[in-house]
Amino acid sequence: MNSIERITKVMEGKIPDRVPIMGNLLEQGANELGLSIEEYYSKGEYVAEGQLKLREKYGYDNLSGYFYAGCEAQMLGCRKIIFSETGPPNVGHLIIQNNKDIENLEIPKDISALPVFEELSKCIKILKQEAGGKYPVGSGVVSSFSLPAILMGIDKWLDLLINGPKSLRKELLQKCSDFCIKLIKALRATGADGVSYSNAVGSADFFSLEQFKDLSLEWIVRDIDAVGPEGITYFNGGGRINPMIDTIIKHTGITTYYINPLDDTAQAKKIIGDRGISSGVINDILLVDWQKEDIYNEVKSIMKSGAKDGRFIFGTLVMPYLIPEENIHHLFNAAREYGVYH
Amino acid sequence: MIEQFKRGYLEAILDTNRNVAIETIESSIDAGHSPETVIFEILIPAMEELAEIIRVGPDATLSQLYIASQISAEVTDRLIPLFTKKTDVEGKIIIGTAYEDFHGLGKKIVKGCLKSKMIEVIDLGLSVAAEKFVDEAIKQNAQIIGISSMMLHTARGGNGAFKVREILNKNGLEGRIRLVVGGAPYRFHPLLYKEVGADAWADNGITAANVITDLIRETQIS
Repeated sequence: MNSIERITKVMEGKIPDRVPIMGNLLEQGANELGLSIEEYYSKGEYVAEGQLKLREKYGYDNLSGYFYAGCEAQMLGCRKIIFSETGPPNVGHLIIQNNKDIENLEIPKDISALPVFEELSKCIKILKQEAGGKYPVGSGVVSSFSLPAILMGIDKWLDLLINGPKSLRKELLQKCSDFCIKLIKALRATGADGVSYSNAVGSADFFSLEQFKDLSLEWIVRDIDAVGPEGITYFNGGGRINPMIDTIIKHTGITTYYINPLDDTAQAKKIIGDRGISSGVINDILLVDWQKEDIYNEVKSIMKSGAKDGRFIFGTLVMPYLIPEENIHHLFNAAREYGVYH
Repeated sequence: MIEQFKRGYLEAILDTNRNVAIETIESSIDAGHSPETVIFEILIPAMEELAEIIRVGPDATLSQLYIASQISAEVTDRLIPLFTKKTDVEGKIIIGTAYEDFHGLGKKIVKGCLKSKMIEVIDLGLSVAAEKFVDEAIKQNAQIIGISSMMLHTARGGNGAFKVREILNKNGLEGRIRLVVGGAPYRFHPLLYKEVGADAWADNGITAANVITDLIRETQIS
């Protein structure tokens, strides 16, 4: 059974040979090619090659056609990305500094013509070709509700959300939603099998469920209504999402939920029930210091909480570059060993 | 009456309703309460109560903490110059984000909470070099250096808290200046603060303000 067949079975509510394992290794690809992280992200070919090597090395079930969140800011005019030698790139130029910048923000007519997207598109096409129908190629977008955080800074975005004029907030969110919709469509057109929809600012770490319903939900609905929920994974983006899952299912029809390591795995499974797919996500920050035994125990515990009766996948959040290779091997070996639907 | 204002202020913060929070503080001043009373009997006790709510109950959200810290800082900045007697600050802290870290929300929340606890905050901004943290702490005679990191590589990397600890120890400053860290990686890895050589960490801005107050008092005793 190959990875696509394995994942398809889970999506259909059937039981495959083992729990599918999602590996979100990003900057590690640079290391595989002996490149700096900045060089690595300069060409889609490099990222594709790095991702193919990583999947081959660790044996997980997906291929990642994704660069970094700041790409979306670049597509909207960000002129400076700050590259690190040991971590993800950061946005170094916030394109919205004042209210006028929101009025002036223009969403590109044709995303596919943007240089950053061209590289991303190259990467996805190579991955599709090399995957040979065995591995799904995924990509990702920042939700319309979270996108302003990388355009204006999270503090300014919270100020506008909570204290700012509603009309201005609406204007910005409409533009961000238009962009999000265009990007999802463009990624699909390039060949991405699935798209992670990341909504960190809409997580329970930022807002209560009531505030989420009041502020974030309508924008998720707008984004997803325009593209359809097929192949969309609701990704936590770094915050907890269990309290929001039921509401999102009811309003959007998204069926796959990639929870936060600090969310309760068994609780997520219970909330989703037979309406979709839940996940167990390892706390990958702890992988930096954990010993083999700790990793095996944690994976075993996650699988025990979620794998029973199927409808469950296992994965990582976004693996920090500093995790020792040995521990990455332990993680995926443990996932294959304990990833059975008992 | 004071209790009523305190309750109204706390409820407004929990509702992330900035306007009502500010109106409540203004009403308390209109009712004849002195700036000292507003700070010490409304604002600080409300923040203490919020800390207790966070400690025993479900987590407060970042939006609640953000609003609480921003309003508290604003009210404190406005009222302290109106005090009838000059009030000594509890202590002084140098804060900033770790080198190569450009995420400032956590720092901003902590800064607001610290101000409301009468702690002088010197904010060095984003992506601060280790040497600068220590140089400023010496220059300003600060008891605490606070470093915020959003990402693991800036929390654990060689140019952040690790290096600050190294410089403090090399110069025999470890007893005089304490090192506090915070940010997302520390929430996922509660023992990470020890790995990077910090004296303490905190899960949120309000707890951070309490932890820092305790450390300042410790340095003053020692």
